[in-house]
Amino acid sequence: MRVTNEIMALATFAIMASSGAMAQTLRVGLQDDPDSLDPATGGTYAGRIVFDALCDKLVDIDANLQIVPQLATEWSWNEDQTALTMKLREGVTFHDGETFDAEAVKANIERMQTMGESRRKSELSPIASVEATDATTVVFTLEQSFAPLLSILTDRAGMMVSPAAATSADAFAENPACSGPFEFASRQSRDNIKLTRFEDYWNADEISYDEVEYDIVPDATVRLARLQAGDLEVAERMAPTDLAAIRDDAGLALHTAPGLAVSHLFVNLGENGGDLAASPDLRHALELSIDRSVINQVAFSGEFTADNQMIPPSSDYHSDAVPMPERDVERAQELIEQSGIPSPTIEITFENSTTDARVAQIIQQMASEAGFAVELLPLETSSAIERYLNGNFELYIGNWSGRADPDPTLTTFFGSEGSQNLNGYRSEEMDAALEEGRTSLEAEARKAAYDEVAQIYLEDLPTIPLYHPTWFYGSQAGIEGIEIYPDGILRLTGVKPTAN
Amino acid sequence: MNTATDMSGPRRRSGTSMALRRALTQPGVKIGGTIVVFFVLVAILAPLIAPYGPTEPDWMAIRQPPSAAHWFGTDDLGRDVLSRVIYGARSSLAAGITAAVIALVFGVPLGLIAGYFGGLVDMVISRCTDALLACPFLVLAIALAAFLGPSLQNAMIAIGISAMPIFIRLTRGQVISVKQEDYVTAVRAQGLGDGAIIISHILPNVVAPIVVQMTITMAVAVLAEASLAFLGLGQRPPAPSWGSMLDIARQFLVEAPWMAVWPGLAIVVIVLGFNLLGDGLNDALNPRDD
Repeated sequence: MRVTNEIMALATFAIMASSGAMAQTLRVGLQDDPDSLDPATGGTYAGRIVFDALCDKLVDIDANLQIVPQLATEWSWNEDQTALTMKLREGVTFHDGETFDAEAVKANIERMQTMGESRRKSELSPIASVEATDATTVVFTLEQSFAPLLSILTDRAGMMVSPAAATSADAFAENPACSGPFEFASRQSRDNIKLTRFEDYWNADEISYDEVEYDIVPDATVRLARLQAGDLEVAERMAPTDLAAIRDDAGLALHTAPGLAVSHLFVNLGENGGDLAASPDLRHALELSIDRSVINQVAFSGEFTADNQMIPPSSDYHSDAVPMPERDVERAQELIEQSGIPSPTIEITFENSTTDARVAQIIQQMASEAGFAVELLPLETSSAIERYLNGNFELYIGNWSGRADPDPTLTTFFGSEGSQNLNGYRSEEMDAALEEGRTSLEAEARKAAYDEVAQIYLEDLPTIPLYHPTWFYGSQAGIEGIEIYPDGILRLTGVKPTAN
Repeated sequence: MNTATDMSGPRRRSGTSMALRRALTQPGVKIGGTIVVFFVLVAILAPLIAPYGPTEPDWMAIRQPPSAAHWFGTDDLGRDVLSRVIYGARSSLAAGITAAVIALVFGVPLGLIAGYFGGLVDMVISRCTDALLACPFLVLAIALAAFLGPSLQNAMIAIGISAMPIFIRLTRGQVISVKQEDYVTAVRAQGLGDGAIIISHILPNVVAPIVVQMTITMAVAVLAEASLAFLGLGQRPPAPSWGSMLDIARQFLVEAPWMAVWPGLAIVVIVLGFNLLGDGLNDALNPRDD
């Protein structure tokens, strides 16, 4: 054992020496400091970027949102689609030296389903039991068929941590041990997270950097400046208004992907809802008074996608049957007249970011041209979110990160029991269509169900979707292999430094 | 008109008005006063002199550099920066003046009471003042504004309350020294009531430093309003305020610097104006400093 360690150390030294005097470090600028580095409790987008390097998942998505193998190499459903059998990759070890096997999968799923602080409970609730039939085969048994399961396993719910290291959530988050290409080295809160290359990674040939350093740089302008100064190799969420600067700079490259996220004007239909709550006519009038393309052009230099649906056009489940309506101020004025409320007032609450403030002011201007009196209420983020969660708003600019599968977005917002259904929307017709979508596995049947869902919510308008952000990563031009998928995550597999 | 036997104030009061006349000859007061009067006129005449409406967007002309049509350029929503700076003078001056008046109206009487009566009343008022002063001015204003919610009115109240302790302390100190004067003892011996003594004999003799403090507070309040607006705790959008204009401009410093330059310059100039005015008045009203 000791001898092998020494050989390993020598080999590592030899590799480092041969690849040049300096270890190659990839410095990535993140907008936010991730929260917990335990996939069971993590709740931030920035955290998901770090997890890609740290923790492998059972399955992954590709650029077209199709499910592809990662720790599971193949899988199949039983006939009534209530049991999913997965074959696991052999020769995978965790960062702490433990072996990855079917028992580890069982332990992980059960940990995420039962641990007190787990945020994955509702995602994994359809799984009734997990069984390790042999070392590399695992069977998930469901209470009823649940189409989004594989898609859920492409995110944190599918990330496998070392069961030996995961005895307590706090201790694990301080020193996480997964099976990803990089292992945890250090973390300075609100400053940086450092990972080092995991030599025993199953796909080590595809990993070209020795270290990854995530620097927390909240300001988009500063991220760009540091990228331009060569102080970062990659930076996430570049501001749409800065893209021209990146495109004009021969030393930098821009990587984009249509996003899954959506920004929408969430309408409270409950007791705090004001004039819009009682009148679908007024909600349609508001929608018709807005020109989404102008919002996209003015606030985002036309770089985002203006759209009227919660599911982005890049997804197969975007409905073509209900296209984005053109702005029609006259029709909006007619609808206001029909509603019997001569000069409706609405108040838009939003988190006080400059982008949301800009969108809110554009909406205010456009809606006022149709006859709405629009008040704006910008609030500091935590008080805004508190009001949102308590249903204490008339309209709220919601920013939802979206998921690869349509179900988590649509059921959460429009299902009677949805966790984001904070505006009091109830529709039996909607619940039935959502149920149809999540229980049928046939793509065509699901597509039909989600077309119906789109019809219903665009008729009832419990929310007015505005646009889908696009993911923008900036990088040094020489770096090869960066490809951003619609989930907006930077994947380090295949990313290579400039060849000198 | 003043005789040696009449020691009850008017002698001093006329000293103050002479000092005010002397103040007007101070270059600092002249320049500072001109700047302040200029901005006051701009604020009052905003609808007449602004070439566009302050919230009137032009979607086709976003972030345009200064031109004949838009002297100061346009902002991120295609609004005319010149018009927004002109209208922004309203919220800055309103905040500066209202906050200083709030501080004055509440601070001076409390200082008079604490200084004149002393004892337990003084103790309670002074300890509360100390507690407020323990918190840095801007931090207190931010905390109060966040608590009250974002609006120009609440920002004014927050700044006014934060600026109040300095008035209490200043007035109290002045009153303690003035109330020892012979003429106060004299009128008290004549049997004049406390209220009458405070209003007719003490207040007029402590007014000079308060006037100076008032101008300085206005400068500080204008800055504080800009800071609160910058943090999103002031004027609600889309109404313009120099601070919120700077907050938005910050993202476009490289590609649209004109968005930041003009409101920034306006803040610098008006604060300079108030400070010059305050300094000049201080020199004129405190001949002992000469």
